[in-house]
Amino acid sequence: MNKKVKSYTLNIAALVLIYATLSLLISTGAINSYISGILITIGIAIIMAVSLNLTTGLLGQLALGHAGFMSIGAYTAALITKSMSDTSFALSLPIGLLAGGLMAALFGFIIGMPALRLKGDYLAIITLGFGEIIRVVIENLSFTGGPGGLSRITRMSRAFSSDTKVSGAIQFSIVFWVMVVIITSIYTLGRSRHGRAIISIRENEVAAEATGIPTTYYKLFAFTVAAFFAGIAGGLYAHQIGMLSAKTFGFNKSIEYLVMVVLGGMGSITGSIISTSVLVALPEFLRGFSEWRLVIYSTLLILMMLFRPSGLMGTKEFSLVRVWEDTGRFIKKTLGIKKRQAKMPYTPHYDVWEDSVVLETRNLGIRFGGLVAAEGINLHLNINEIVGLIGPNGAGKTTVFNMLTGVYAPTDGEVVLLGKTINGMSTHDITKNGIARTFQNIRLFKSMTVLENIKVAFHTRMQYSPVSGIVRASSYQTEEMGIDIRARELLRVFDMEDVANAQADSLPYGKQRKLEICRALACNPKVLLLDEPAAGMNPIETAELMDTIKIIRTQFSVAILLIEHDMKLVMGICERIYVLNYGRVIAQGTPAQIGRNPEVIAAYLGSADNNDNGGAQHAEG
Amino acid sequence: MLLFLNQLINGLHVGAIYALIALGYTMVYGIVRLINFAHGDILMVGAYTAVVLITMLHLPVLLVIILVLLVCVLFGVLIERVAYKPLRNSPRISSLITAIGVSMLLQNIALLVFTPTPKPYPISLSLPALQIGTLSIGSITVLTILVSAALMIVLQLFVSTTRAGKAMRAVSEDFDAAQLMGINVNNTISLTFAIGCALAGIGSLLYGLAYPSVSPTLGALPGLKAFIAAVLGGIGIIPGAMLGGLIMGLAESLTKAYISSQLSDAVVYGILIVVLLFKPSGLLGRGTREKV
Repeated sequence: MNKKVKSYTLNIAALVLIYATLSLLISTGAINSYISGILITIGIAIIMAVSLNLTTGLLGQLALGHAGFMSIGAYTAALITKSMSDTSFALSLPIGLLAGGLMAALFGFIIGMPALRLKGDYLAIITLGFGEIIRVVIENLSFTGGPGGLSRITRMSRAFSSDTKVSGAIQFSIVFWVMVVIITSIYTLGRSRHGRAIISIRENEVAAEATGIPTTYYKLFAFTVAAFFAGIAGGLYAHQIGMLSAKTFGFNKSIEYLVMVVLGGMGSITGSIISTSVLVALPEFLRGFSEWRLVIYSTLLILMMLFRPSGLMGTKEFSLVRVWEDTGRFIKKTLGIKKRQAKMPYTPHYDVWEDSVVLETRNLGIRFGGLVAAEGINLHLNINEIVGLIGPNGAGKTTVFNMLTGVYAPTDGEVVLLGKTINGMSTHDITKNGIARTFQNIRLFKSMTVLENIKVAFHTRMQYSPVSGIVRASSYQTEEMGIDIRARELLRVFDMEDVANAQADSLPYGKQRKLEICRALACNPKVLLLDEPAAGMNPIETAELMDTIKIIRTQFSVAILLIEHDMKLVMGICERIYVLNYGRVIAQGTPAQIGRNPEVIAAYLGSADNNDNGGAQHAEG
Repeated sequence: MLLFLNQLINGLHVGAIYALIALGYTMVYGIVRLINFAHGDILMVGAYTAVVLITMLHLPVLLVIILVLLVCVLFGVLIERVAYKPLRNSPRISSLITAIGVSMLLQNIALLVFTPTPKPYPISLSLPALQIGTLSIGSITVLTILVSAALMIVLQLFVSTTRAGKAMRAVSEDFDAAQLMGINVNNTISLTFAIGCALAGIGSLLYGLAYPSVSPTLGALPGLKAFIAAVLGGIGIIPGAMLGGLIMGLAESLTKAYISSQLSDAVVYGILIVVLLFKPSGLLGRGTREKV
């Protein structure tokens, strides 16, 4: 709490200082209208860059049509203030700005719905296409002024007072504070549960979905919000310049904003702010070199990318409070003051289920084209049971997991979880209903911290809305505080509390596996699916893992289904085993029974002289 | 009917040029997964090379054609080595931004050296038009379509049958694996850029014949269109680039003739969007699914 107060105070003080200085300089005329024009342009560009950073940096989706949303906002706002010319501009401007933002958001939603099904470069191109279509359509509509564009839009620098200095200062205030509000909103949004959901999609979409994040919803959400802010920036632009031509908002403009975001560091809001200020101001400073300036500008751009490929700030943020605290910590360290670590008791929050069969599959099967990958699979899991799913490579084990979790839609049969048929549900809904999983090849949210990885999994059990997250309402405070405690408790169970703030991919391999299991448990599952948890582990790590799995069973009352090639582990902890070969269950029973089953030995263990505790530890390579 | 045939042929003409440029995009993308935004500007480099060599140095046309190709290749390979190679292991968006930077740099240097005033393209072709009944097809159109078709066939054969072509395909599948098989990845990538830029050089000659005015931003629009053509056909796939180019050319010329010349861009982008929505990896692209 103390840190928050400190952070607010510092940031607000800095903002007020910047604002007071600049607006004083503008209103006294010390900054002429040319320079203040540049400041306004920077402010608008910052809104554009920061909002684009939401899609490109936080969500991780490359979008090349951001200027299109700006143009929609600009035209909407301008048409509204023009049609309300007999009302006071102080009233019509905010209405226009808001309407511009909403209109852009509407288009963002309509465009995003189909476009966001695409990924990577294809998404980039389709957004480019939509951006250009917006431009061409505006150029060809009559009410937007056609190719000639709109002119005689009220200019903020003239509208408020006959004294241009005063009006200029008011213009600056409007743009400055709108910008501050938007930056703050995106910043706080990024740190709410919704922001975590968005970032988790960037980090690993498959894992995000499996952790209970409705990925389609959040992609569309981020895209729409970004469009909304771009629309507001457009409205400001229209009333700065006073005339609009759709050509201004072409592909090159979108690229300009993208350059600002990448150069600042994707995902870093402060990076975007710095790079935007520099990139807008630089050509103006280079005006003295007239013809050379764009050559210098582009050379700098290339050099910058070559030497700092991940941008100025990377994904980090510049923070005043960190500077403050680092100084403080340095002083405390030199004085030898130690912080007391608060200990909290572990209390389980996990429901205990009475039914004995938790998960059941009935005749489950899937075909890819003509290929039958799995067929007639009948499995069941009882409460608190550890069951193994083994079989040679390519037997269909992971396919079964994928069907259970909705990654693949089964073509036959059904999956019943606690009496409820769940096949046909989306992965995140299945997770919400109580199946969580880990992956064969670890899928963590790599650049998030260990703690944040866990917090993403608490998403579905939190309630507060995006708006509460942005304004940090009391529901945000209590829920975030609650999950912080619970996430730390969970980490303590796994003995990972000490690395809570480490970046996930900095952990050693064994701990990364453990974290993935931990994240799956944070989804509050009734069934936990572990896909080769011991793969790549050394014997000591495997032994530790066996202990961990036993702890999980007793502490969290979940049924565990695990795929594993390490026979020692399977035979050592599983109560029952299913053996899969060629997409069918060829045997089931206790480890002892499986070890003696001749069919299993023939199909899987290879030769008859392997005994039940697994002569071959890795029966299949 | 005659109008329709004429527009069809116009479309094929433009489409053939788009296809040639699109090949460069697609080959580079296929091998290094980079959208080389500077590719269109190679077209401009080629055009200005011709202007300098002919109007200033008065060299013979045949020699100029060879030199134009050489200069384009040189630029392409140089750009790759200096600007893209150091970023091969960086996030892909960084190289994308660098490519944008290179494109801006080339345009602005041209602006500085040659001024924004357009210069006439110094090579022209005056052969009689081809007459088929009442239909007359300009000699430039015939040349463009024939040259493009021939080049595409040669390129396809090169990539599918030669040793270097096999190396290219291997590198595009997997850098490391190709390297372990003894393929020189750097040279293969350079070769890809060289071929792509040579095609852009030829594209610049054909483009210059069709639109004989050279300006610093000459490459921007055909570059963008060609890039879209490459995506339309399925980026990274050579026949896809040809198909995409032809569709773009035809759509553009037919919209201009029958709907509205202002809306031709909208129609082109509309086709792109519809295709991507139904076939997200382009017309000839194979859908790839992330393995879970």
